Amino acid sequence: MNRRSAVERISLLLGGGALSPQLTAAVLGQVTNTGASVAVDAAQTALLAEVADVIIPTTDTPGAKAAGVEQFIIRVMRDCYVIAEQETFYAGLAKLEADSKAANDGKAFVELDEAGKQAALKKTTQSNKAFFKVLKQLTITGYFISEIGATQALAYLPIPGQFLGDLPMKEGQRAWAE
Amino acid sequence: MANLNIEADKANTYDAIVVGSGVSGGWAAKELTEKGLRVLMLERGQQLEHIAGYENALKAPWEMKYNGLLTVEQKQTHPKLARDYPYNEMTEKYWFKDVDSLYKETKRFDWYRPNIVGGKSIMWGRQCYRWSDLDFEANAKDGIAVDWPIRYKDLAPWYSHVEKFAGISGEALGLPQLPDSEFLPPMEMYFLEKEVRKRVEKNYPKRNLTIGRVANLSKAGEAQLNGGRGPCMFRNRCSYGCPYGGYFSTQSSTLPAAAKTGLLTLRPDSVVREIVYDKDRQRATGVQVRDSVTMQDREFHAKIVFVCASTISSTALLMNSVSERFPNGMGNDSGELGHNLMDHHFRAGASGSWEGDEDRYYYGRRANGIYVPRYRNVDDDKRDYLRGFGYQGGASRQNWQRNVAEMDFGANLKEELTKPGPWTMGLGGFGETLPYHDNKMSLDKGTLDKWDMPVVVFDAEFRDNEKKMREDMMNDAAEMLESSGLIGVKTFDKESYPGTAIHEMGTARMGRDPKTSVLNRNNQVHAVENVFVTDGASMTSASCVNPSLTFMALTARAADFAVTELKKQNL
Repeated sequence: MNRRSAVERISLLLGGGALSPQLTAAVLGQVTNTGASVAVDAAQTALLAEVADVIIPTTDTPGAKAAGVEQFIIRVMRDCYVIAEQETFYAGLAKLEADSKAANDGKAFVELDEAGKQAALKKTTQSNKAFFKVLKQLTITGYFISEIGATQALAYLPIPGQFLGDLPMKEGQRAWAE
Repeated sequence: MANLNIEADKANTYDAIVVGSGVSGGWAAKELTEKGLRVLMLERGQQLEHIAGYENALKAPWEMKYNGLLTVEQKQTHPKLARDYPYNEMTEKYWFKDVDSLYKETKRFDWYRPNIVGGKSIMWGRQCYRWSDLDFEANAKDGIAVDWPIRYKDLAPWYSHVEKFAGISGEALGLPQLPDSEFLPPMEMYFLEKEVRKRVEKNYPKRNLTIGRVANLSKAGEAQLNGGRGPCMFRNRCSYGCPYGGYFSTQSSTLPAAAKTGLLTLRPDSVVREIVYDKDRQRATGVQVRDSVTMQDREFHAKIVFVCASTISSTALLMNSVSERFPNGMGNDSGELGHNLMDHHFRAGASGSWEGDEDRYYYGRRANGIYVPRYRNVDDDKRDYLRGFGYQGGASRQNWQRNVAEMDFGANLKEELTKPGPWTMGLGGFGETLPYHDNKMSLDKGTLDKWDMPVVVFDAEFRDNEKKMREDMMNDAAEMLESSGLIGVKTFDKESYPGTAIHEMGTARMGRDPKTSVLNRNNQVHAVENVFVTDGASMTSASCVNPSLTFMALTARAADFAVTELKKQNL
């Protein structure tokens, strides 16, 4: 397929409108969002892991950090959100850190004790609701579909083998993982 | 050289050609080979081996990268497929990329095109319901479109024939408007579904609530075990392909049966571009094919051609098969080819929650819901619209995705989400769409796809009759749920566009009169008797029930007729 006919086909596909070079490349199946993603460094990764672990902490089962939820968040942010949304999200994370430092004599979030971390996150639920909602959503999803979340916090049946639709619930029964 | 050509010709000649390998094509290949014909099955998509090809079938949830979310790139490369759920990271390889599956929309139409052997039989919803004379007589009674040239009694034995082989799980109810199938044992209902059933059937004596009728083996019978299939494992991963053969697909069911005869040749990557017509014999002689990988063209010949490429593609193929005799597409003497395009309209209904009974739970993942058969415009019920709808739905305990105290976090939140949530239940209507002449598809011969096939243009919409029906779909659902004791009941209408239900039908309808229809009562093209169209394209009206089982029965019936006629040397 030559380039000209490819582009004609694509403008047809998208309703005939003018197309940006990125979009044309995208429709042709080329990866486009590798260059258009927020780069996430080790400090941000560590911070995300700590924040996620406050949302889903270790209790009688391991928490979000043990389940590696920060990797899910970073991956989904990078690949499923457009650059503007990524920027908003990481700005939210930076603000959480800055607010936390301001309130704790310059101490970074990761250095706070449990109560300090909870207080800092509580503040974010008030000062930056939109950011917190996205963060919480991704953390919960990443946790409950992780191996630890699905098999320890929930109950996972890889091959149920039968279906019983109406049973008395057993003592201590955890919810089924999907 | 002449001799060589004769040899080549022999190698390209079969008794029958089947275009497409989905639900309908698979049945055509099975029936025709089992009756002794040498069959060439042509599939435009790539090979997908049973079991070995289902790469994601046994993956655990934690092996999903995005939990069903689409990436920015996927949304850009699949702007149309990304409109709805069937396209996701686990089924990605089964669908055409939009860039290869170009089409135009005068009005929005969602066209889901598989790119594999087996077609949509791999990803289908598997709900199976017989049609009845309420459906087959509807056009004649309402005085719209044209009358079906067949009635329920013509199809009933063929329903039985396909059901015994495919394996349909369900509960017999003895309803005239929704005849019973040859059933495997029904799946069990959840606690709340049982409760709501009791109340609905008490409050509304003419309504039923039953378990979904589904092509999953609640128990593998002899016919299935002999074919190498095992029972459903209740994993609810059907659309990834089932390594146990737990549900009906071409790969699990019809393809092995056809292959066993030794008479089947399957050729993937084969874009059928045209049916070749001989005007002197007034017959098709075969098909012209482009290999989608090598881009080489070939011709194959046969005594009969079964067109089972799915509704839109079957009609596009007839439209592209032009000749001196058929300047407007093969079999289009009536001018009806491409018209009367139908789909079901859906995503209107209601849902609510249930207080208490949190000590009732379940085991296993049931890939099936409940069903409320049509009751509107049945017997003496009369509405201000034509036809009716059935409900699909179900109950469940809410999972970790439920919204608990939005700004909450920490140990309490985690503890809460690891427990099953409250019971909820929803009902969503599937409504019949009328066969409007003006709802149509056509070809844009000035715009060619990668294989030089003209692209399809859609011009179809739901109209007043459907809109009126959607009011009932919402209100009836809310009434039934509320009167059954659910709380917080809310109606919904999430919009429905033609194509989204993936029940495309019509565009080459059956009928009694060649002047107003494309196919006769045996699915033969009126004017080209050795060409049969047996998939959704042949439908004269849409019913409100899922259509695949009827495609199976029509195909088996037409195959039987074709072989009988061949033996009589009429074809």
